Amino acid sequence: MTRATCTKSEQELLAYWLGELDEAQESRFDEHLLACAACSERLRALVDLGAAVRGQLLGGDFGFVLPAAFVRRLEAAGLRVREYHLEPGGSVSCTIAPDDDLVVAHLRAPLRGVRRLDFVLHDPKSGTQRVTDVAFDPAADGVTMVPSVPYLRTLRHERQRVRLVAVDGVEERVIGDYTFNHYPS
Amino acid sequence: MTSDADDDAALARQIIGCAPRRDAGAEAELCRRLGPRIRLYGLKHLRNEAAAADLMQDVLVMLLQKLREGAVREPERVASFVLGAARQMVIDSRRSGRRRDRILAAFPVDLVPADDEAPEPIDVKRLGRCLSALPERERAVLVMTFYGDRPADAVAAELGLSAGNVRVIRHRGLERLRGCMETAGETT
Repeated sequence: MTRATCTKSEQELLAYWLGELDEAQESRFDEHLLACAACSERLRALVDLGAAVRGQLLGGDFGFVLPAAFVRRLEAAGLRVREYHLEPGGSVSCTIAPDDDLVVAHLRAPLRGVRRLDFVLHDPKSGTQRVTDVAFDPAADGVTMVPSVPYLRTLRHERQRVRLVAVDGVEERVIGDYTFNHYPS
Repeated sequence: MTSDADDDAALARQIIGCAPRRDAGAEAELCRRLGPRIRLYGLKHLRNEAAAADLMQDVLVMLLQKLREGAVREPERVASFVLGAARQMVIDSRRSGRRRDRILAAFPVDLVPADDEAPEPIDVKRLGRCLSALPERERAVLVMTFYGDRPADAVAAELGLSAGNVRVIRHRGLERLRGCMETAGETT
């Protein structure tokens, strides 16, 4: 028996999986996937990739900049989240406890009118890093930084600085500096 | 080239043609082929791996029983039969958690469908490297999408973007991630 190839695009498969189709489209997709092993296998691979991405988030393996509402959902799902709130120019003493799943820093900042937002992180260990074009809601009153948990666990008494920079073409404007005085728990 | 539907139909006809005797080989092959697809349908509509595995087994048991009884009138449309059965079982399972017991009591068979082959596991270390190499915006959109399998409009609402914009970022991010995973796979 010869194998057919999948005729659906990855975007179509993902739209189906995420419930973005209307009822009639979803029903047609259901029928197609039950009749087509190639598309079904392709979707399964996509679903497994999504689960692995989710695992990376829950493992705290990466640093992210995410909306505060998203962090609320992580908490609602049972993750233990240690939170810090900083005003522009503010500093905080911070740590990570053994049973913390994630540590987040809510950085208040005037984002209205900001078109592109960059993060500049400085710490004595890894020097200065610039993360360009982070995802943010211009209508929100700040952004939420979720640092890598394994990295935080390596820190002793160390000071990290974060700068938020609004970028518009070649123009740059600092909209907030934040200092984290880390101590081991 | 024959389609999957043609191959499924050929196996269904083989089972019907053999009745009342059992064609164990054809039944096993049909279960092997349809099982993963039914399981994926279950996962989509029930969002639970264990419930999806139960659904797969229940639908296959019912399908084989109906084929042996000659109750599937259009074997060339076996996928439609499976969809009808799966859809009804999902509705039942939402109404009552006792769906499985009722079905197994109503359609007793002695064949336990084989589970599908385990898919190749994702190399999480490689995935980690590839995720860390993504632009921050794409990484955030992918994480927000796959945590809870959220549609573009829900992700867009949290980021102050349009759903269309999120779809574009999601598409780019997935392409870049997959490209990185494949490249890394060739070089390691």
